[in-house]
Amino acid sequence: MQESQAENPEVAQTDPVAPPRLTVQGITKVFPGVVALDNVSFEVLPGEIHAMVGENGAGKSTLMHIVAGVYTPDQGSMAFDGLPYAPADEKAAQKMGVAMVFQEGSLFPPLSVAENIFAGRQPLNSLGLVDFAPMNSTTRTLLRDLEVDLDPATPVIELSPSQRQLVEIAKALSQQVQLLILDEPTSSLTISEARHLFKVLRQLAKRGVAIVYVTHRLAEVFEVADRVTVLKDGKVTGVRMIGQTTPDELIHLEVGRELSFEPDPRRAPPEAPVVLEVEDLATLRVTSASLKVRAGEIVCLAGLVGAGRTELCEAIFGIHPIRHGRVCIDGVEITPHHPLEAMKAGIGMVPEDRREAGLFLAMSVAANIAVANMDSVSHNGIIADREVVRLASQTAEALHIITPSLEREVMFLSGGNQQKVLLARWLARNPRILIVDEPTRGVDVGAKSDLYTILRELTRNGVALLVVSSDLPEVLALAHRIVVMSEGRTVGELEASQADEVAILQMATPRGVVKEGGLD
Amino acid sequence: MPETVKTTLDEVETVQEKKRTRNSLLRLAKRIAVDRVLLLIVLIAAISIWMTLAYPEAFPHWDNFAAVLLDAAQSGILTVGMMILLVGGVFDLSIGSTLAFAGIVAGTLVKEAGLPPLLAFLGGILTGTAVGTINGLIITRLRINALITTLAMQGILRGVTQLVASSGVANLPQGFKPFGQTMILFLQSPFWVMLVIVLLAWFAMTRTRFFRQFYYVGSNSRAATLSGIKVDRVVLVGFILMGTLAGLAGALLASRLSNAVVLAGIGTELRTITAAILGGASLSGGAGTIPGAFLGVLFMSLIQNMLIIARVPVFWQSIVVGVVLLVAIGIDQLGRRGR
Repeated sequence: MQESQAENPEVAQTDPVAPPRLTVQGITKVFPGVVALDNVSFEVLPGEIHAMVGENGAGKSTLMHIVAGVYTPDQGSMAFDGLPYAPADEKAAQKMGVAMVFQEGSLFPPLSVAENIFAGRQPLNSLGLVDFAPMNSTTRTLLRDLEVDLDPATPVIELSPSQRQLVEIAKALSQQVQLLILDEPTSSLTISEARHLFKVLRQLAKRGVAIVYVTHRLAEVFEVADRVTVLKDGKVTGVRMIGQTTPDELIHLEVGRELSFEPDPRRAPPEAPVVLEVEDLATLRVTSASLKVRAGEIVCLAGLVGAGRTELCEAIFGIHPIRHGRVCIDGVEITPHHPLEAMKAGIGMVPEDRREAGLFLAMSVAANIAVANMDSVSHNGIIADREVVRLASQTAEALHIITPSLEREVMFLSGGNQQKVLLARWLARNPRILIVDEPTRGVDVGAKSDLYTILRELTRNGVALLVVSSDLPEVLALAHRIVVMSEGRTVGELEASQADEVAILQMATPRGVVKEGGLD
Repeated sequence: MPETVKTTLDEVETVQEKKRTRNSLLRLAKRIAVDRVLLLIVLIAAISIWMTLAYPEAFPHWDNFAAVLLDAAQSGILTVGMMILLVGGVFDLSIGSTLAFAGIVAGTLVKEAGLPPLLAFLGGILTGTAVGTINGLIITRLRINALITTLAMQGILRGVTQLVASSGVANLPQGFKPFGQTMILFLQSPFWVMLVIVLLAWFAMTRTRFFRQFYYVGSNSRAATLSGIKVDRVVLVGFILMGTLAGLAGALLASRLSNAVVLAGIGTELRTITAAILGGASLSGGAGTIPGAFLGVLFMSLIQNMLIIARVPVFWQSIVVGVVLLVAIGIDQLGRRGR
């Protein structure tokens, strides 16, 4: 399918005279009030996997949107295979062979895989009707190339997130892609799915496709990329060959300061009373789960995506009906049928998907904090606005939430600050138990360190924390104790001092298949 | 040399000043476009001034003013309910049929069954409450969406109304008239009923804990559940309230006309939703205010009044309402894109 470069990728990668696939020269892009990109230069070679890292708001997305023809730069120029390149819109960029796989995806869930891949350009038969046979067979070839075992006629709605991602990539390939841009492709993938994706990417690179890989996860950079460009506040702060850099150096380039995610040396006193106890709990998707969390302790629930961790948390919080088993708070059994009942028992929960299940995006920071605290800001059913402002400003200050005002709609805040707003919502209630599902997903390195500090502070006040995380270094940095789930069951428990990534993965992987090392 | 420099500086200053005035004008224009309440006030003022100049003998008179407000009364009562539903992310298409049905029930109760007028009037209101409750229960318990449920209810109730009353209940007794025909401070009673409902709802939607929940539910119902809000209960109350208001509007209309009409209220859902969207509501929920709804209704009634005074044929009115709805949604979309 691929032409020219595909014949001899090694030459393309090493030949000093071959022009870069894409060169970006001195690009500046100003949005009202912010300089998103300031004189940025960047290049990616044919057959190269080039990682792009930086905190939220560093300008990664803006740069990629310019390359994909969504935005036009205010200054600067671009070249594609050595020729001037200034796409008027996305269509023009696609014609050149630039394909961008978006974070949220751009598929049509009810339609089949083949129809998605050929959306808008389905082959027609002599009657002008859609000709399914060639569409399905081309799709089958594409999928086979990607080593994906999928029937082209399957509706996309039935696919897992990783399969959807691969369909998007297949779609890009069907358009003779020369430059493939991936934006946080692994955020919803399991470890083995991510592995498969990396394999596919390496294959594509071998065929001469240039790949730009935008990510937050440094471990992935070292696993898949050849070279990395670091952006900070709209400027390039470094370009490194992977063999010649370290994660610490990249973090330094990203934030301009050293950050360490060392485990908290202080441990909860072992004699602290058990606050949350779950015994042989079962729901629709959880077969049997048991765990204990003591006051002032952080227990991390580790496991692969789909192991039932989120379902367990949601059952404790009264979202899923409990089939059997017990949930006890301070030794008293509760059976919450609605989150409100769990809240009254002293539980709070920050959900996994901040935008879908956590935030009221179009509402103010104050309203987002107040929503779970109506008891303390209202009297006889009447809300006292002064109380709302007082509560919001106190908690916002305590958690260092950065916002122009409490009236600002929460959608305009950065990911890290949005996460802090969600924490503020629950902290204002002084919960006995706080469940946090993926505390740092999609937040930048600086905010991550803030969030760790906040969670650790909480334990000092005796709050029992149950944290779900797919990020193993995060689990190791935060947890006092680690409970591992696999296929709907709690399968084991590790003291933080004895745990490492291999031990956790060994427990978490069904059928005892162990993959070397952690993902990130 | 110094002369020239000074002139240039002066010039720069004038240019800057001009720029500043233009900027502040622009900012004002932007603010009006973004703030729906301000925009409606400006539009209503503009129409009023224009009508006063164009039709000095017909428009600027107390009787005409009272007629506009009477027309706004029924829409206003209904739009309050619709606005609350839209804020919560749902809507009710059955209100026109509910209104007619409630009027027929009230008329039958007072004329055929000989009930005291007050009881018959309350019977009409409670009929609406019952319809709203059924709508709400179907939507929250059976999980059938609001569009389908209320569309079906619209058809069912219209049929039931015609079945039980064929052409309607005419010549209602004297005792039933005061609800809709009393003059208070030179305006007819339905206007005052509407005003009280608007003020109560305004207070409720801005200050009370229960009604503030509609904003959370409409903005993100899953997040609302996870924050301890009983979403189903909020939605159910919204529909019960809407049904009650439709019942009230139906009983008031029957009283005002001394006649319960089977075909009353046809097309009210379109007018009501249009007024609410004009007032800042969005079909995706979470947005809109009661003052916005009130001004939206006033705007629609003024347009209607304008068409009547200008002797535009009746069928044009429905065309204008449809166009206004599209324009209002268009403005909303543009505003969203501008962000």
